[in-house]
Amino acid sequence: MRVPQVPILMAVLLASGAGAQSPGTLAAADALWSRGRLAAADSAFSAIIRTDAASRRVATVSLAEIAEQTGQRDRSRLLAGTVTTEYERSGGTGWSATDLVALGRAWVLVSASRPDAVRQALAAFDAAAARDPANVDAPLRAADLLLDKFNAPDAKEGFTAVARRDPANARAQLGLARVMVFEGKPEATDAAEKALALDPTSVSAALLLGRLHLEAERYDTAAALARRAVAEDASAVGGWALLGAIAWLHGDTVAFNRAEIAARAINPNWAEFLAEVAEAAARHRRYGDAARFGAMAVALDSGSTRALAVLATNELRLGQMESGRRHAERAFALDPYNLWQKNTLDLLDAMRSFVTIESPRFRVVAPPQDADFLRLYLVPLLEQAYDTLAVRYGYRPPTPVRLEAFRRHADFSVRTVGLTGLGALGVSFGGVLVMDAPASRPPGEFNYASTAWHELTHTFTLGLSDNRVPRWISEGLSVLEERRTHRGWGADVSPDFLGSFKAGKLRQVSEINEGLVRPRHPSEIGHSYYEASLVCEMIEEQFGVEALRALLRAYRDGKDTPAAFQQVLRITPEVLEQRFAAWLKTKFAVPLANIDPWDGSGPVTGEFVKTLSAAHEAAGTGQLEVARQLFERADKLFPGYAGNDAPAIALAAFDSSNALAAAARLATVTSRNETALDANRVEARLRLRGGDLAGSAAALERLIYIDPINPAVHQDLADLAERLGDWPRVVRERRAIVALGPADRAEARFQLARALAKSGDRTAARREVLQLLEQAPGFEKAQELLLELRAATPSGGGE
Amino acid sequence: MRAFAIAGLLLGLAFAPLSGQATHLLVVTGLSGEPGYAATFKAASERLLDAAHASWKLADSSVWLLTESGPTQAVAMRGRSSRDGVAAAMSALAQRAAPGDAVLIVLIGHGSGEGPTSRVDLPGPDLTALEYAKLLDRFAKQRVVFVVAASASGDFLPVLAAPQRVIITATKASSERNESLFAEQFAIGLGNGEADADKDGRITALEAFSFARTTVRAAYEGKQRLLTEHAQLDDDGDGKGSADPAAATTGDGAFARQVSFGPPRGSSDPRVAALAAERQRIENDVAALRGRKSSTDSLSYERELERLLLLLAEKTRELRALERSGPP
Repeated sequence: MRVPQVPILMAVLLASGAGAQSPGTLAAADALWSRGRLAAADSAFSAIIRTDAASRRVATVSLAEIAEQTGQRDRSRLLAGTVTTEYERSGGTGWSATDLVALGRAWVLVSASRPDAVRQALAAFDAAAARDPANVDAPLRAADLLLDKFNAPDAKEGFTAVARRDPANARAQLGLARVMVFEGKPEATDAAEKALALDPTSVSAALLLGRLHLEAERYDTAAALARRAVAEDASAVGGWALLGAIAWLHGDTVAFNRAEIAARAINPNWAEFLAEVAEAAARHRRYGDAARFGAMAVALDSGSTRALAVLATNELRLGQMESGRRHAERAFALDPYNLWQKNTLDLLDAMRSFVTIESPRFRVVAPPQDADFLRLYLVPLLEQAYDTLAVRYGYRPPTPVRLEAFRRHADFSVRTVGLTGLGALGVSFGGVLVMDAPASRPPGEFNYASTAWHELTHTFTLGLSDNRVPRWISEGLSVLEERRTHRGWGADVSPDFLGSFKAGKLRQVSEINEGLVRPRHPSEIGHSYYEASLVCEMIEEQFGVEALRALLRAYRDGKDTPAAFQQVLRITPEVLEQRFAAWLKTKFAVPLANIDPWDGSGPVTGEFVKTLSAAHEAAGTGQLEVARQLFERADKLFPGYAGNDAPAIALAAFDSSNALAAAARLATVTSRNETALDANRVEARLRLRGGDLAGSAAALERLIYIDPINPAVHQDLADLAERLGDWPRVVRERRAIVALGPADRAEARFQLARALAKSGDRTAARREVLQLLEQAPGFEKAQELLLELRAATPSGGGE
Repeated sequence: MRAFAIAGLLLGLAFAPLSGQATHLLVVTGLSGEPGYAATFKAASERLLDAAHASWKLADSSVWLLTESGPTQAVAMRGRSSRDGVAAAMSALAQRAAPGDAVLIVLIGHGSGEGPTSRVDLPGPDLTALEYAKLLDRFAKQRVVFVVAASASGDFLPVLAAPQRVIITATKASSERNESLFAEQFAIGLGNGEADADKDGRITALEAFSFARTTVRAAYEGKQRLLTEHAQLDDDGDGKGSADPAAATTGDGAFARQVSFGPPRGSSDPRVAALAAERQRIENDVAALRGRKSSTDSLSYERELERLLLLLAEKTRELRALERSGPP
């Protein structure tokens, strides 16, 4: 790529024409530098040092930064050191605000090898701002540094202060956009666009926006922004790295090599280039490749905290715990301000006390207090899911698959993204799954079985596509597999989803990723998950399950979505879009007719909502017969609606004199709402009252995944299973009660031993009762059971 | 003249020491501050009294209750939980309890202060932890279990700790100032067979503590609340409490394991007594075997354990059959 020559020469000439005075000369040198003319800029700054005492310090630190940029680290430190030493010797007498900013920049360079220099850098920027309150460079540099050191709140304050004074300040707006990225806010893209609009020549803004588009898998836009960055500044390694990452993601070796050569020409130590590619690979869920690029970057520059961090992150995501820890420790030693590394290392320390549960295909790692419980329920579920999905996708991912469960959501979040605050319940890195432990949330807040099934599906779809499946299809398949396993698992249709569709506000299929990554309103993430699952469901319905597998293989072979659809479905995305809209209209014809278009704000309206509201109002004012008729009508206007205000719940109350009829009403909700806590509780009681013991047990089984650590659920299910003669289930429930750490542990263990004996497993029963009596030898019921077990053993002795 | 009134109530008590192995209970409920707390304190104290009467079969004269409002009925063993009332009751109890008797003192209320000046709010002036320690010095020959079932009670423990004395506090530190659930759960444990971890028919101080610890934690977890009280127990006198002494093999827990409440078991039927003694001997053998577990190969250990437990079970069966058959 050629760099335009004339404007630079003009800038130099104009600056020279100003009489070789500062700041004109500095401006010329800066112009050369900002356009990537590094050698010329180097000469210009060197000349300033010799001829212009007033600009000497700024020129020196600029030279140091160019040296850093071009891989001359020793020279960079040396030059930076001359500035800091001079300041320390002079005590700062006669230093202008500009000089103090230069000093801060010098300390930033020094901090790469001396982390405590960060404080001195911040102090220098603060001093500069105090000396010249009109100087915005100082507070902006301070805020940039704070953000680099993971102090987003203070950084935000700094950027905001400048933006308040000067709303058109592009650097402040860019800083605020960076803060939003740090905080995971979807508005970051808009903010980055605003910054770029304020300064169309800003390389940093173009690169930030490019990275955001790349994350959303809008490759063409990302590439255009990267090209724009390197056109502006050919020495922007970040631009070449972004181009290299995009090329690599598309398997375009020629373009990748071209970008790499360009980066190496700027800096023979091109670790930053490789680290950028590694980060892009990780953002596209290609964690193995990310670790590989990270390792290459570390091999080139073992002091690069960015390279070490990306390597450590992705090794941990791959389950390479020891190596990941080692690299995280190294990164943290080099940069003790790195909150991600600190959080991660703290968590890894805490995880030393975790218990590992091995099963044929899984390795579950969990806090000791959760281990028994997970062994009972989650491990069998995972094994079942593996078999189910292996048949469905014709693919068996490498084993063991590692699943880590965390009782504190903050720990889950740190394990996933290095910081607290992640909203998800589970994450799949392919061979490593991470999720909240069953006891981590209040009852009814999540269904841990469906979450585990969802995450494990990613292991299959990522594996089968060599981690190249677009996020929306991967999520869509995961939700679809949840729904196929249990009708009520995963997202379900809702009035706001249908209202959005009717208003044309549902994302186009080609834009579902946007809805996942940058939702326009709070409901849109959920809508996008559900929509993606419906697209997958329609493809399976119209093209067969093999089409889903073939799509994954097409992605594995490097096809993008239009090409994959063309190859597998023989249709264009546009045709798929049309078919999908028609399919939705048919599938949801009845409720669609009774929901008004909804634009994402305000309450959803329509005949269904109106009728349901009227029904609740009538019930509230005691007009029960009117209410009943309205609930019946609402039920017909939106058949199968299973929200927490579902007509079926009210109608069950009206039918409560007939326990089984009421239970059947509730089943509409419990079969379609994966977290229906109260409805399942009531259904269990109603079915028990109506004599439907198996139905009652089924409701309690569902509760186990919603209200897992409630001893009453397990006690009720154990009692019920005993009445049904289902002794294996009694044993499981008795084990669960013991695992929950009851106050009367001896009695719980006795009941377990008794259930084991009844189930025919006398060996286990004997072992259990002996262990119990070892602690409570005077426990007479247990003594009696021991005698009974001996009597039932032919030899009359131990087994 | 309030002190004299309390003292007058206590003068009615028989001060002569009773024979060893008897149990005495003193329950003190402090200032409640509001009706909700008053009800909570009352419920916990009534549970303790129920345990004393129903489970331990204590005579009224061995059960003392001091409350913020004083006696509501003319019962000799009741009084007001003022500073003087508590001091007088403890002094009287020290004279009454014989060497070897079990003395259970439970303070229920709101805790405050720090270190030696920690206190449980009483009507009028409070007693400090240091003053309670002086009062406890009079129980040198009894087996004392002193429970501070109050918020912010953690600092009582190092002040009161002494060898052969069980000190239990509802919290680990004086900074744990939220309302405590410990009192009620400890009271439930004392009167509830569920707390009897070894199912020997007697609830020890350690078992009641462990029960309360478990149920308090479960109550917090059930409501998805962060546990803000961490009960602790000291019985080795080092002033360092243990959160889970039942799991410890050394240090705290050993003495509390031996202190139970209520009359000693026994039978007037010599055949029953002989079988019970035999059973006790086997239980001792089991305990001794358990003590050798780490130095015994696992197979030999299991075989011997099973042999002893079967023997024990047979003796129990014989014993129950004999009891059913009635006296000779």
